Amino acid sequence: MKEERKYWNPAVETLPRERLVEIELKRFRELLRWSQENSPFYKKKFHGIEPEDIRTLEDVSKVPMTEKDELREAQVGKKPYLYGDLLAVPPEQLSVFHQTSGTTGKPVYIPDTYESWQWVVEVWCYILYGAGFRPTDRVFLPFVYNVYIAFWQGHYAAEKLGCEVVPGGGLETKARIQKMMEVKATGLMNTPTYGLHMLEVAKEMGIDPKRDLTIKKMICAGEPMPEPTRLRLEEGWGADVFDHLGGTEPGGWAGMCSEKKGMHVIEPHFLLEMIDLETMSKPIPPGVKGVAVITSLCRRSIPLIRFNLKDMMMVRDEPCPCGRTSVRVDQVGGRVDDLRKIRGVFFSPSVVEEVIRGKFPEVVEFETILTQEGIMPVLTLRVETDPSVAESQQKELRKIIREQLKIRTNLTFEIESVKPGGLPRYTLKSARFKDSTKK
Amino acid sequence: MEYDLKAMDLEIKAIEERTKRLRELGNGFMAVERNADSILTFVYLLKKNVSDLIE
Repeated sequence: MKEERKYWNPAVETLPRERLVEIELKRFRELLRWSQENSPFYKKKFHGIEPEDIRTLEDVSKVPMTEKDELREAQVGKKPYLYGDLLAVPPEQLSVFHQTSGTTGKPVYIPDTYESWQWVVEVWCYILYGAGFRPTDRVFLPFVYNVYIAFWQGHYAAEKLGCEVVPGGGLETKARIQKMMEVKATGLMNTPTYGLHMLEVAKEMGIDPKRDLTIKKMICAGEPMPEPTRLRLEEGWGADVFDHLGGTEPGGWAGMCSEKKGMHVIEPHFLLEMIDLETMSKPIPPGVKGVAVITSLCRRSIPLIRFNLKDMMMVRDEPCPCGRTSVRVDQVGGRVDDLRKIRGVFFSPSVVEEVIRGKFPEVVEFETILTQEGIMPVLTLRVETDPSVAESQQKELRKIIREQLKIRTNLTFEIESVKPGGLPRYTLKSARFKDSTKK
Repeated sequence: MEYDLKAMDLEIKAIEERTKRLRELGNGFMAVERNADSILTFVYLLKKNVSDLIE
C-alpha cells in the first residue's frame, strides 16, 4: 500500500533539530559572505565580521540586525536605479519585481533573479503542502495580482505543486463566487478579511458556501488572522482554514500544518530568532512573547539578514504531532508599530479583532479610532452589524461590546453603530485601526 | 520512509555537470542558454532540498 505523503520534503521536514540548526548556521555563513562580497550595503554594515566566526546561534545574535528603514535608505538615490546598495547580483540577472506596500513609509523594492524567485516559490510549496493542498485540487485565487508579492507566490507554488490554478482577478465578488461554483474549486487563497466579505456577499446572493460551494481548504495571507477569525472562516466556508507568515522582504516563511496549532518555520530555509520586546535585542526562550527576527537563507538577489519583522510572536517548543521537527510560532499581539500606551496601558489593536470575531458573530465589520480630547486619548470602536440585527438591539449590543473590551484591554471604548455597508471592505491589507493622534 | 540521499545527490551533480556542458555548447544560442539556466536554477533547489542534508 502506498504510504500517505505528509511532507513536501520528507527528508528536511523530519530532520533532527540539531542537524537543522547546523545547516542553518552553514547557510548563514554562506549568505553573510555572499552579502559582504556582492552588496555594498552589507559590505559596509558587516565590515569586520568574519563569517567563519559564526559557529553557534549565540554568535548569530551578535551580528547587527537589519531594520526596514535601512533597506529604504540603501535604495534612495543610489545606483543601480531602484535597488541601490542592497542589490547583490548584476541587474541584468533580475527577472521579477515586487515592492512593499509602503504602509510604514516609502516602499522598499525587492527584485529577484529567476533563481531566487524560484526559491521563494519552492518555500511556498512547503507551506501549501503542509496545509493539505494536493495535485488533485483546483485552486481559486480571487485577486488581481500587481506590484505586491501577495498571491504571486501562492499562484506559482500551487502550479508547481501540481494543482490546477484558476486566476480569479478582474472579476467582481459576485462573479468570483459564481466562478468558484462553476469550476467546483476545492482550494482558495485569500486574505481573512476578503474571506469574510465573500461570506457576506454569498449570503446576499442566497448562496451558502458550506452547502453550495466545494471549497475544502483555504490558505490566508496578507494580514494577521487571530484564531477567532480563522474559526469564523472555517464555520462559514465549511473548510479547513490555514494561516501562514510571510512578507515581501523575506517571502513566505512559516505555515500551519493539519494540527492548526501555530505555524511551522520553513527550516532550514529560514532562521528565526526571537528577541525581547523591551530591549529589542536580547534573545528570549520559547514560550515568551517577543519580536521576530528572520533571515532568508537562500535568497541571494537582495539578501535579508537578521531582519527585524517588528511582529510580536511566541515560539512553541513542544514537538508537533504532525512529525515536523521545525519550530512553531504563534502570532500574538500584532505589530510593534501598532502598540500604543493609552492611559498607562499597552494597547494592541489586534485584541479588538480577537474580541469582535470571537464573541460577536453579528458584527460584520468594525474599525478602531484613536483620537485625543485635550490631554485624554479616546478609543472609539465603530461597528457594523448584520442587517438582521434590529435597531432596538443595537444599544444592548454596544453595551456588551464595551464590557467585553474593558475586560480584555482594561480600557474604556466609545462604541458607535454604523449603518449596513457604512464601513470599508478590504481585499488586501485591512486598515481597521486609525490613529488620529499621529502627526 | 528512507531515501538514499547520497544516490540522489550524485544524480543532481551529474545533471548539473551535463547542463553546464550543454550551456557551453549552446553559447550564444539563446534557446539553449536560457533553458539550460532554468535547469540550473532547479538544480540549485535540488541541492538545497537534498544535497545540503548530507553530512
